[in-house]
Amino acid sequence: MIMTIIAMILSIILGTAALAYGYSQAGLTDPARRFVLLGIVWLLAHWRKQYWVSSVAFFLTLLGAGYGVWNGFTTIWMLLGALGGLLGWDLSDFARRLSYAAPTDDVQGMERRHLERVGIVAMLGFGLAILSLYIRINRLAFEVAVGLVLLAALGLTRLVMRLRKY
Amino acid sequence: MSRSLLLGFVSYALLLMGIATVRGEFIALALPFVLYLLAGFLFSPDEVKLEATRHLSIERASPNADVVVTVTVTNLGSHLEEVLLDDALPADLTIRPSTSSGQRFGHSRHLIRLPKGDSYTFAYTVAGPRGGYGFESVRVKVNDHLRMTGREVQIEAKGQLFVFPPVTRLRHVAISPRRTRVYAGTIPARVGGTGTEFFGVREYQQGDSPRVINWRISAHHAQADVLYSNEFQQERVADVGIILDGRMRTNEFARGHSLFEYSVQASAALTDALLTQGNRVGLLVYAAFLRWTLPGYGKVQREKILHSLAHARPGGSQVFSDFQHLPTRLFPPESQIILVSPLHEDDLTPLVQLRAQGYQALVVSPNPVKFELSYLPKNKNVELASRVIQMERALTLQKVRRASIQVLDWDVAEPFDLLVKRMLSRPPAWLRAVGR
Repeated sequence: MIMTIIAMILSIILGTAALAYGYSQAGLTDPARRFVLLGIVWLLAHWRKQYWVSSVAFFLTLLGAGYGVWNGFTTIWMLLGALGGLLGWDLSDFARRLSYAAPTDDVQGMERRHLERVGIVAMLGFGLAILSLYIRINRLAFEVAVGLVLLAALGLTRLVMRLRKY
Repeated sequence: MSRSLLLGFVSYALLLMGIATVRGEFIALALPFVLYLLAGFLFSPDEVKLEATRHLSIERASPNADVVVTVTVTNLGSHLEEVLLDDALPADLTIRPSTSSGQRFGHSRHLIRLPKGDSYTFAYTVAGPRGGYGFESVRVKVNDHLRMTGREVQIEAKGQLFVFPPVTRLRHVAISPRRTRVYAGTIPARVGGTGTEFFGVREYQQGDSPRVINWRISAHHAQADVLYSNEFQQERVADVGIILDGRMRTNEFARGHSLFEYSVQASAALTDALLTQGNRVGLLVYAAFLRWTLPGYGKVQREKILHSLAHARPGGSQVFSDFQHLPTRLFPPESQIILVSPLHEDDLTPLVQLRAQGYQALVVSPNPVKFELSYLPKNKNVELASRVIQMERALTLQKVRRASIQVLDWDVAEPFDLLVKRMLSRPPAWLRAVGR
């Protein structure tokens, strides 16, 4: 389970440190300190097996990232904060599930596969997000954009429904 | 809140924020979550179809003996990435650390990956006190690798384990009920006929073996020209009803000590001995409720009674707090009744009534005073109290004996077979011959 724990600690540090750095860059040092504190509390709570704290902390990092984007802080740090929060939340839950395994179970294999998949999803998500930040279509009316988003949502829903059949 | 719901809410909130504020950054922020959600749903199992079988190394065990439970789970559905198998143990059974070097031993919970068509076998060792234990199902939690969809199912895998009380072998239990059955056995029937014990002398009848002619008496009556034959006591089987007292007030003591296990052991030993002698034996467990095992013969009956003893638990109830509600009609008239009970002074009247109804009664009484003394601290107060209670008990037992009821006062520190050998065994033939 060590791999998962290390990955989780790194993710939480990445998420909260990125948010703290983004906020401190914008001159908000008090909230930046609070993000560092949030990271410490999150880690301590996991150590004390208070797993519900993970969901709360994830939600708080998301709120922080959303607020930062709203106020125009550096998007990359906010994005890394949200991604770190997502990974920390996922790995904290996975570590809890692994604690149910018997010592003779193939925990290492499960860890390896999970970390690979979560890593790929996170990398792809991050890559897509970065791409979407840099690729801009200036001559697109707002109505068209709304229509495209709705179409994308509909398409995603249908895709998920189709994929679940197989 | 489920994980998928939380992520869905976050994703849609960010997307809507992006649309509402016309800010692409919010959409960018939502993208990792949307992708995570999609990946979770994409790899979620379509169909959970599992089958489980259970095998117990032995189904009838003695208390605290090791029993290996082997469970095999087969995946008949789609590939399952994360499966948590949890085999719930019946209460009172505990898992023993296994000494086996084999893998997958010693745990009833496993987290595994189960590809389509694969099987997974795990085993663990359990032990427990006397009782009947039923294994019902294996609880299975199936998750996709991101736990977007989680399902919990119970797979039926039945198994039964009976932990019987230890059965002490008794060589012979001498009882003498007023009425016996017609079949030949070992209990003196108080009727002349063929047998080994001298019963009386009667006039010679045609067909009598010359070996049974009593020449001495025949010589005394030589003038009458009559021969006399010895008659022997017939030995037959009898009806025996064993009453196991499971009342809380007589069995349970401070600090969780209980005499009930000793009573159960005595009942099991007596059942075994009496059935081996060919008698018809029934059992009544008198506790919070009545548990009646119909009288019967042989090994099947032994099994039935041991099952009943395995399930016997001490209990308290207002109705059955004393023996006033003892259903004596369950026992054949004038049969032998063996009451296994630590006894309470209130039990004297029902016992006398039982005797008055014509039953031959025998009381096997585990001594509660000596039992309590064995774990209480040794000081003057305890010693004085024990003397007073011991006298009270001696008085009660004396009253019971006066009602022609045989009493076996059993100090549980002494093995039960020794007590039975001393009190209930048949004296050897040579000792009987000299009238001792």
